[in-house]
Amino acid sequence: MRHATEQDFDEIVMKNDKPVLVDFWAPWCAPCKALAPTLDEMAEEYAGEMEIVKVDIEANPGLAERFEVRGIPLLMIVKDGAEAARTFGTLSRSRLDAFVDTHVGAQ
Amino acid sequence: MANIAFHGDPAVKAQALERLRRHIAAGSFVYFPAWEEGKANVIGAVVEADDTPAYAEQLGYPLALAETLPAFVNGFRPQAEAERFAQAWLERTPVGADLSRIVSQLVLDLLANPELAALTERHPEVEDGRRAIMALHQRAMDGDEPDRKAWKVARMAAVAATDKLSETTEHRAGQVVEAAAWPGTMRTVLRDTLNGLGTLELHLALSRIGWTEEDESRVFHIREKAETDGYKAEFSGLDRVLAILDADHSALADQFRLRVELVEKSSARYRAAGWKALEMMENAPLATAQVPA
Repeated sequence: MRHATEQDFDEIVMKNDKPVLVDFWAPWCAPCKALAPTLDEMAEEYAGEMEIVKVDIEANPGLAERFEVRGIPLLMIVKDGAEAARTFGTLSRSRLDAFVDTHVGAQ
Repeated sequence: MANIAFHGDPAVKAQALERLRRHIAAGSFVYFPAWEEGKANVIGAVVEADDTPAYAEQLGYPLALAETLPAFVNGFRPQAEAERFAQAWLERTPVGADLSRIVSQLVLDLLANPELAALTERHPEVEDGRRAIMALHQRAMDGDEPDRKAWKVARMAAVAATDKLSETTEHRAGQVVEAAAWPGTMRTVLRDTLNGLGTLELHLALSRIGWTEEDESRVFHIREKAETDGYKAEFSGLDRVLAILDADHSALADQFRLRVELVEKSSARYRAAGWKALEMMENAPLATAQVPA
């Protein structure tokens, strides 16, 4: 799973050939930490269909501002260089899977 | 040897127990965090890192079981009870036990919960989902592991069925079923299913005493206001909330005391699941090849 910064976000996310699930997180965020194992597994499971990229909003406040991140964890799907969907807050694994399935169409 | 307890080697068990006991004796065993400044929870005490996959790999436990272990331990209060369970966990896991079916076995046990079934049975689609997911776990236990597509079909059906439920309690029941719709190899399936059932049971218990989400919100705002204006600042934590409620909202105070009591009691679900897991591991078949002592 890659980590994007203000410097390489466009290259890694916006110009990616595959859909990207962007995880906006911060080191002090307990729900973000709880979500991490789920995202690790999803990264493997969906490796052929999408990429998961993490953005630490504390280290990259410009990205938080650019995407109007008001709370975390915030998950955003980017397809063809544009935001396709976002969901905020704690989400169960099954709901997250349904969210990805709807917007990425994984098999 | 994946999912074979202690990889069949008594020395692995002995070393894990020795590390755990050392932390308990030193007073550095904690509920949380897993590993920080020498303090360790049930995982960190053994692997000396915040690394659940390493715990599972080094000791031969299924990852989903290791992921759920801190939740079992957190259900035991005071800490001496948590320490007792943490030691029993290692002591009573038989060296060489085949633990490959334990996660599905535990998820099946949770899905068979009578209170859950009573709720899902009111809605054919949710009940069908519960039964379909139980059947998939049963297949996995029988050695016929369903493929990814079978799990996905069952999961999406369960999510769609839950979405049709508007009543909060029934919706929570649907969420338990959804959470279980993953193979036992998925890291969070057991933890999520257990948490879902624990939340549902607590919700049911609170409903029985008439405690509502509005009451919860009211207490939250009363406490928040006190944080701002410094009211009853001579108290702290729960005592402060109770002092404010006793002074200004006596009826709500009585209800809140009952609510606190029920929240404390709700940890029984986690303790029961922990002991059940241990019992299942004790009864698991032994793998054929063991490392000679």
